[in-house]
Amino acid sequence: MAIEHAIEHRPDFAMLRARLSAGQKLYAEPSVMATMDPSIELKAGLKGGVLKSIGRAFGGESLIINTFTAPQGGELTLAPGPMGDLVHYRLEGGRKIMLQRGAFVAHEDGVEVNGSWQGARGFFSGEGLVLLQASGEGDLFFNSYGAILPVDVSGRYMVDTGYVVAFEDTLSYSINTLPGLSIGSRIKSFLFGGEGLVVDFHGQGRLWVQTRAIGPFVRWVQPFRPTKKSGQASKLGNLMEMMSGD
Amino acid sequence: MNVEIVSRPAGAAAWVRLERGDAVTAEVGAMIAMSPDLQVNTTSMSRGGKGGILKGIRRMFSGENFFLNHFEATADGQELLVGPALVGDIVAHELTGGAVIVQGSSWLASSDGVDIDTTFQGVMNALFSGEGIFWVKCSGAGTVLLNSFGAIYEVDVDGSHVVDTGHIVAFEDSLSFSVTKASGSWIGSFLGGEGLVARFSGRGRLWCQTHNATSFGRTLGPHLKPRQEG
Repeated sequence: MAIEHAIEHRPDFAMLRARLSAGQKLYAEPSVMATMDPSIELKAGLKGGVLKSIGRAFGGESLIINTFTAPQGGELTLAPGPMGDLVHYRLEGGRKIMLQRGAFVAHEDGVEVNGSWQGARGFFSGEGLVLLQASGEGDLFFNSYGAILPVDVSGRYMVDTGYVVAFEDTLSYSINTLPGLSIGSRIKSFLFGGEGLVVDFHGQGRLWVQTRAIGPFVRWVQPFRPTKKSGQASKLGNLMEMMSGD
Repeated sequence: MNVEIVSRPAGAAAWVRLERGDAVTAEVGAMIAMSPDLQVNTTSMSRGGKGGILKGIRRMFSGENFFLNHFEATADGQELLVGPALVGDIVAHELTGGAVIVQGSSWLASSDGVDIDTTFQGVMNALFSGEGIFWVKCSGAGTVLLNSFGAIYEVDVDGSHVVDTGHIVAFEDSLSFSVTKASGSWIGSFLGGEGLVARFSGRGRLWCQTHNATSFGRTLGPHLKPRQEG
């Protein structure tokens, strides 16, 4: 049974409001719950046993999954860590969807989320060797930093390796350099922080890209970090921290 | 070429739709996703081979990357999705002659007919504006995509206008600016934390950003673990 829900404050500060009917369950990544009716029961556990949990952990998710049960029905809101967007996807008819590390937010009964080994492709994508695979029947919610845009692929499509959020498993992919780049350009692009590598999707299906990624933001902030002479704590850094203390 | 800006303002991205033969030049790293029939060329030059290494080096001093990525459609109905690294908005400006001067990190992409060059805004402005030594000068005819840190707003200047140097996105070259102190006295300017401001004069459009990326970086810095040095 579908979960009655609304995704509010899209795309910058998306939050999921879910209304569970009596007896309905919602499985969520830990620490995403923002508010809930007091009648809702929360149980933390290794869903699907130890092995499946470890698979999920390799996919960048927690070992633990929180189960929210509403014996008399009730409402809860979920807000993931990064500011950004949330997407609802209904799994049915044997469709499966692949999720980038950390993109999983919640699903209802009947959906399975497992780690899925991607081999060398995962390594070259710079995003880890394991993706999450969601299968079964039911509602699934995923998120990312930045806004999420759907793209319906028919044939071929290319996405920078850092910007893939999710894709239907009717799409296959390989990791490639950009089309047309000469060897010299590839080296230049690769060395100078450019679009060296893309995920090259083939087939028919939907994929979701994010408009911002955490990596470039984190790289941008590095020069603002205080510096420390080897072995010593930065006195200036500490002083500035004290002065700016909040 | 057709441009659609989506997910404004914080996560703004631009869909650039290209027909066969259309081309767009973008900041390296700006490409998020694209159709398969786009030829990509990483170059230190703007299109047509003008510029070369020297322009590339000047671009580095303007806060931009040494290289540019050039995307050319080899079939109809191609699309390219571009976005900046930091949170903020995008605007598209149609150039029909004249030029806009863009603060280095605010230039995102421009279409084929736009010539991208760097420009020097004077010794005082280079040393004291807190921005790059060179600015990006876009001239010709076509679309320029500008990005901001925070939201972006336009000011139509007629006479003069004062903007904090960290809040400038771009301006039409019918305007000129000089860097001056914010308050009547130098001491007042610095104690007030405003330091130096850009005083624009002339008649033309000025694009400003609501937030100053450097100020944000300085706010975050002290909360981060120190980097090891030496």
